[in-house]
Amino acid sequence: MPVDVDEYEDVWVFVEEHDGDVAPVSWELLAEARDLAAELGEDLVALVIGEDVDDVAREALRRGADRVLVADDPVFEPYRADPYGEQFRHLVEERRPDVVLIGGTHTGRDFAGRVAVPAHAGLTADCTELGIDEDGHLEARRPAFGGNVLATIKCENHRPQMATVRSGVFEAAEPDPDRDGEIERVDVIVDEADTLTSVLDRSVGETADITDADRIVAAGGGTEGDLDPVLDLADALDAELAASRKAVDEGWVGHDRQVGQTGKTVRPDLYVAVGVSGAVQHVEGMNDSDVVVAINDDPNAPIFDHADYGIVGDLFEVCPELVDLLEDADDPTEVPA
Amino acid sequence: MNDQWTVVVGVKQVPDEDDVSLDPDTGTLDRADAEAILNRPDRNALEAALRIKDEVGARVVAVTMGPPMATPVLEAAVAMGCDDAVLVTDRAFAGSDTWPTSLVLAATADYLDADVVVCGEETTDSSTGQVPPGIAAHNGWAQLTYVEELDPLPEDEQIAARRDVEGGHERVVADLPVVVAVAYGENEPRTAGLHRKIHAENEFEPVELTADDLGVDEDAVGLAASPTQVGGMETVEPVERERERVETPSELVGALADEGVM
Ligand SMILES: Cc1cc2nc3c(=O)[nH]c(=O)nc-3n(C[C@H](O)[C@H](O)[C@H](O)COP(=O)(O)OP(=O)(O)OC[C@H]3O[C@@H](n4cnc5c(N)ncnc54)[C@H](O)[C@@H]3O)c2cc1C
Repeated sequence: MPVDVDEYEDVWVFVEEHDGDVAPVSWELLAEARDLAAELGEDLVALVIGEDVDDVAREALRRGADRVLVADDPVFEPYRADPYGEQFRHLVEERRPDVVLIGGTHTGRDFAGRVAVPAHAGLTADCTELGIDEDGHLEARRPAFGGNVLATIKCENHRPQMATVRSGVFEAAEPDPDRDGEIERVDVIVDEADTLTSVLDRSVGETADITDADRIVAAGGGTEGDLDPVLDLADALDAELAASRKAVDEGWVGHDRQVGQTGKTVRPDLYVAVGVSGAVQHVEGMNDSDVVVAINDDPNAPIFDHADYGIVGDLFEVCPELVDLLEDADDPTEVPA
Repeated sequence: MNDQWTVVVGVKQVPDEDDVSLDPDTGTLDRADAEAILNRPDRNALEAALRIKDEVGARVVAVTMGPPMATPVLEAAVAMGCDDAVLVTDRAFAGSDTWPTSLVLAATADYLDADVVVCGEETTDSSTGQVPPGIAAHNGWAQLTYVEELDPLPEDEQIAARRDVEGGHERVVADLPVVVAVAYGENEPRTAGLHRKIHAENEFEPVELTADDLGVDEDAVGLAASPTQVGGMETVEPVERERERVETPSELVGALADEGVM
């Protein structure tokens, strides 16, 4: 079942959009894939699937794609795994890309397998580093075992080499308004009558992008759902709110603000973990922070091993005190002459 | 139409991730002293499957692909309330990545005539989350991942689900057969009753299925049929942190000012 790998070329990036809004990880991938394509001497191709997505396609050119393939049809809005997977698989089989990169969002992780399985492609999950080895194979690196190990995954005899990539690990490039390229509309091979699922309703709010924040205050299970002290602290620090999975699962904070293995990777100058235990899956997403502060009432909480400064104390007391101090510092009348 | 559903639950034995240690000298993983446990997200899958049974009646069968050593996770599933359990085991499966693994589980689901396959979100040892969509893709079935709630609709041969999507939720209806991956922590897994525990540990024997039983070509599974290979493992130097304890908030503000982050 191995294939002739030389018959495959070009680096593809899936541009994830919902209702015209593009997931930021798509642009991050496009920037990273620009370098991979250059190293391989191949073209960078963006794949846009959706309805009325011409603006998205043009933006993909400005963000670095040499070409854009557009599958535009009402069947693709809102997203469903089966039509997306089917269309993408068809394009992969018809055009034989060498590398295919997909954001490690719920959407990306939902349908990547739907493409990789029928194509018998190698698929690596949730990568945090990408490279090309001396033989021209993609090296996809991903943390394993709580981030203690970085595993390198290769796919030597199958194509395409597919990977999902975490949000926030690469930096998006600024769009260049003068950049142009070819936009090709492809045949839509999916028929509504053949779909296996239907979306009854979909409610999404504004999604937050915590991956760019300079300062982050993260709420954990210790808040027990009372986020006021954390929000006040975030306000006083001019920081973005983030959360552990516990706080997200409980419905206190939206999933788009979850930090960690199944959330986002953040790299702020300051990360304040409030009532967060410091589980490996959480730490994995915040390890790139510059300075980490932990506030926790359990002196043995693992978060203290991953923090530069720790205060053992009740967050409901510590946070308001911090807020007072910070606000005093901001108040010019308090500045000594 | 009145046929009772068969719900297949995929479970996996994994090393307790809190126990996995790294040999600082060789950089190799020491999993030997890690306790083998039921992958935690699979408990949510079992609970979701048993709720289908509670609601509409169903035969719930736990399945694991692994060595005979993995039988305790099947016992745990039976103790929780599964009607039966299957150990899919064959030397030919050794070294399988997610492609052949999902092929074997897809064949098993087909063999068992599954209407619904329920899996955990991902495993804590490899955390790819790729197996549930892989099963669906191999069989050409519908899939629902990141599921928070399930509503069986037996009269329509469908299942409805609430899914977590970036920034919100959606409700989706899928035709059977369907593969469901339940979001970790989304329900409160029931505890096993003493009676069932005793039954699971003493009377229960899992059904064993091999590649041959499933009609799976041995060349399509195992290491050789896996498109991905692990090319290396590097230890990552843990991020050095100051680990300084400060007593008071004002000390903290001072320290942060010194760091230049205020
Ligand atoms: C497959 C999988 C993927 C996962 N992905 C992620 C992920 O991406 N991100 C993530 O965060 N987790 C993830 N987890 C979950 C992770 O294992 C932990 O369960 C989770 O991080 C715990 O959240 P927490 O520390 O906020 O809550 P808890 O475990 O409830 O800890 C709360 C902490 O707050 C402290 N506390 C309590 N009250 C107070 C108080 N009044 N003042 C101060 N401190 C207080 C406690 O001492 C404790 O340390 C994942 C798990 C699995 C299995």
